[in-house]
Amino acid sequence: MVRRAAILALTAIVLALLCADWIAPHSAETQFRDDAAARPSRQYPLGTDALGRDRLSRLLYGGRISMVMAPLAALLAVSLAVVAGLTAGCLGGWWERAAATLTDLCLSLPWLFLLLAVRALLPLNVGPEASILVTFALLGLLGWAGPSRIMLAAVKRHLSSDFVLAARAAGCHPLRIALVHLLPHLLPVAAAQFWVTAPAFLLSEANLGLLGLGVAEPTPSWGNLLRELENLSQVARCPWIAAPLVALFLVIGCSHLVTAAAEYES
Amino acid sequence: MNLFRRSLFALHAAAAGEPDPHRDPAGTLLSLHLSVSYRDKPDVLADVNFSIAPGEIFGLVGGSGSGKSTVALAILRLLETRGGSVSGAVRFQGRDLMQCRERELRQVRGRSIGLVPQSPLSALNPALRFEAHFREAWRAHSQASWRSIRPRVLELLRMMNLPEDEAFLRRYPHQVSVGQAQRILIAMAVLHRPALLIADEPTSALDPASQQGIIDLLARLNREFAMATLYISHDLASVAALCARVGVLQGGRLVACGPADDILKGSEVPTSPPPIPPPPIPTSRIDPIVALRYR
Repeated sequence: MVRRAAILALTAIVLALLCADWIAPHSAETQFRDDAAARPSRQYPLGTDALGRDRLSRLLYGGRISMVMAPLAALLAVSLAVVAGLTAGCLGGWWERAAATLTDLCLSLPWLFLLLAVRALLPLNVGPEASILVTFALLGLLGWAGPSRIMLAAVKRHLSSDFVLAARAAGCHPLRIALVHLLPHLLPVAAAQFWVTAPAFLLSEANLGLLGLGVAEPTPSWGNLLRELENLSQVARCPWIAAPLVALFLVIGCSHLVTAAAEYES
Repeated sequence: MNLFRRSLFALHAAAAGEPDPHRDPAGTLLSLHLSVSYRDKPDVLADVNFSIAPGEIFGLVGGSGSGKSTVALAILRLLETRGGSVSGAVRFQGRDLMQCRERELRQVRGRSIGLVPQSPLSALNPALRFEAHFREAWRAHSQASWRSIRPRVLELLRMMNLPEDEAFLRRYPHQVSVGQAQRILIAMAVLHRPALLIADEPTSALDPASQQGIIDLLARLNREFAMATLYISHDLASVAALCARVGVLQGGRLVACGPADDILKGSEVPTSPPPIPPPPIPTSRIDPIVALRYR
């Protein structure tokens, strides 16, 4: 029941983002200079920001970027984790030890600070498209370690199974054993990791955006829309500016409910 | 018939100037002298020593934990993947498998030596259809396309008394019975017509009717393909019915080896401990109606 409600809510949000071209009252970047910092009205349902841009339109178009790029980054991270886990597990010995050490090293580093440090090393004056790619590529490339450890454990468990022994006894090449015999068993684990990682990346992008290190202006994302919340007194006066926070909370909460309910059912 | 086929093969090979690959210079297909130990369990096998002639069915019997399955995996050099340490020699078709590299061993596994594992359902990959199982077993040793080999697979299914249709090949392991799964494994093991088939307790998970079917099938494969068989079992009746020679393993040592008649007749071969009988029920507690029903 809870899972179904969460799936429905997520579907509604995704549909709204997909239909932004029809739902959004204005474009995300059009400035209405006469109506800067306007309160919610029929013309601007969530008001306008300090530059006179419609908040609802920016929320919808920004959500599109966040909701597309975070899952893509999660896909990259989980794919890297599958490759690393499968390679290390199948090759064993030195490779396995090296992968385990690298994973432990990555996991022991404060992940967010590492992300901030790497992002800060890159130029700040990059274009909006480049900033989107850099932000989410960084998330994907630095987020493989956690899922990789789980993949390695899954590979080791299956390597000691009877069906892998039978495949070896049939003379199958190790690459075929990895790709044909083991990979189908890793896909459900990878799917679960994807559902856990994607909301985490959504949150990480929000963190980077809040600090001005995420997607560059004027392109909206849920991360850089949160920068308006820096001034707490303004939030108390104009609570509608917290709409990106509510959207983020809804998406992450629903994703968690979907995965938690799936785990409970399995 | 066996002798005729082998002689014919040898004749063709000699005409082509090639040695008979099924025959060792010493006249044996497989001869081994093995010791196996694990890090935490030394002397799992100690100086186990026997040989198998081409086309012969050799029985290996012994109780649970005596090391029968270990012998099967040691011959294929698969024990190393499970943390075992093997020493000694495994001479097969004139070369020592202990000296072979992994790439050479892969050429032997499945093509020259087929293995029928002990537990049919766990030995089949639950995520793969039977078609994928056969395709992978075929691709391991042949470049020929799967489409060209499909009729041969269907013919094998017919020989194994399995449904020889495409729908059966599209099934998953959980969709068939244990007996059918065992026959699938045998079909995969003989796909490349190996010179030696190692059948590791192929009847242990089956009901008596299916057991007899598998024993008949192994005898037929031996007759029709001139395939030597190492038949590992603790079922003495099936060993007596199938094997010409028998080796007896006890505590990791080969305590007897010779003609099946001599070894099995009247001898006390160690087998699994007998099942523990249920505790007696006091007669006063038995319901008279139940007692009547089961009388």
